[in-house]
Amino acid sequence: MIRPNAPLPPTAWHTIGPFFPRTFFREGDNDLTRLSAEAAPTARGEHILLRGRVLEEGGRPCVNAVLEAWQADAAGRFRHPLDPGWREADPDFLGWGRAWTDAEGAYSFRTVMPGGYADPAGPRAPHVDLAVLASGIMRRLVTTVFFPDFPDANEADPVLRAVPEGLRHLLVARPDGRSEGLRAFRFDLLLRGAPDAETPFFVD
Amino acid sequence: MTRRDPPDLFAPYDESAQPAVPIEGYANTFRRNPARPPIPRPYTRTARTGPLDLSPKLKPGDDNLAVIAPGRIALGQLIHVSGRVLDEDGRGVPGAVVELWQANAAGRYFNPLDTRDAPLDPNFVGNGRTLTDREGRYAFFTIKPGAYPVPDSGRWWRPPHVHVSILGPSTLSRLVTQMYFSGEPLNAHDRLLNSLPDAAARPRLLARQIPPQEVEGEWLAFSWDIVLRGRHATPPAP
Ligand SMILES: [Fe+3]
Repeated sequence: MIRPNAPLPPTAWHTIGPFFPRTFFREGDNDLTRLSAEAAPTARGEHILLRGRVLEEGGRPCVNAVLEAWQADAAGRFRHPLDPGWREADPDFLGWGRAWTDAEGAYSFRTVMPGGYADPAGPRAPHVDLAVLASGIMRRLVTTVFFPDFPDANEADPVLRAVPEGLRHLLVARPDGRSEGLRAFRFDLLLRGAPDAETPFFVD
Repeated sequence: MTRRDPPDLFAPYDESAQPAVPIEGYANTFRRNPARPPIPRPYTRTARTGPLDLSPKLKPGDDNLAVIAPGRIALGQLIHVSGRVLDEDGRGVPGAVVELWQANAAGRYFNPLDTRDAPLDPNFVGNGRTLTDREGRYAFFTIKPGAYPVPDSGRWWRPPHVHVSILGPSTLSRLVTQMYFSGEPLNAHDRLLNSLPDAAARPRLLARQIPPQEVEGEWLAFSWDIVLRGRHATPPAP
């Protein structure tokens, strides 16, 4: 039935719906600094908090949204064979985490300040990719978080440059003090709103 | 659209085979979908890569939703669902995490947010997590979910369906979808299934019933293959 090397059409997306099980979330799922809840945190890089709120039309909290984060390690490497430096990637860093929003739409990740890297498309600034899943979102929404520490690198980043200039600031997290002894960054997402306030999302 | 190979292992989605929003009677498809069209971006290494082994974190190994504990069996029609997770070339995707959740036989979710007046089954929670094998195969036991009406939607009933989430080898191959059952009359009226503009894409979400005489056990069996976006399920090491 399936012929090798005959491209198959990808299966269609659907929403997670209103009943994505809370029981899927375990302690540590939103902690990218460790491979599992039992594992020791990585010793490489600066540990940071990335937190904010997910808001829907009218600025109301988007409750029970699921956020999935993916990023490079502190040296800008991925433990994946498409990265030429993957064998040197941090073995104690998974780079993936999942958070869910509470009644205020708030989420939080603990992670490592990512490193930038050279990509054929251009020099990537340190960044975290975020995907949003929620009831009513029929296909995940993808965006990228940049950091205020790296204005020059942000300026050169080929993904941030794809965003209209006046909207780029919406993808740069803001310093948000310190918590748990770590620097915190705030990144709010407005899923639908005024053109100058709605979070820019990318073609997936 | 042209495909280059490599490094262009990920072509954009065919929009006609993906859901169109908003959907009538589903207010969240209005409130939560951006007004601005998504911005084209280059697929850099961040998008092309993804977590290769999530099992220490997500801990699969829960593929029998029908039996909550020894002797505690869910009410409903026992079913077995199996198939393969494939890439666009038809290669099996090994080691993908498959998450499942569904309503009970009465169409009620074991979830505090489901406040509908239908019975809960004390022996059915209705979620599980499993891993594909070396050939990309997955399988799980469960009970056939019931249909349920969508509140405030004007008599829209969801046909029996199982929610499925797959975490594959790349963030670009991430998929969340729903599996339906062939031959259900409600399928023709479901606003989610019919939100795919290309009618030819809809049957790909339907599981096929395996003839009972071919099933070695006292359950009904269904087969459903899932295709993740991307070519080369496991990219070769450089
Ligand atoms: Fe459902």
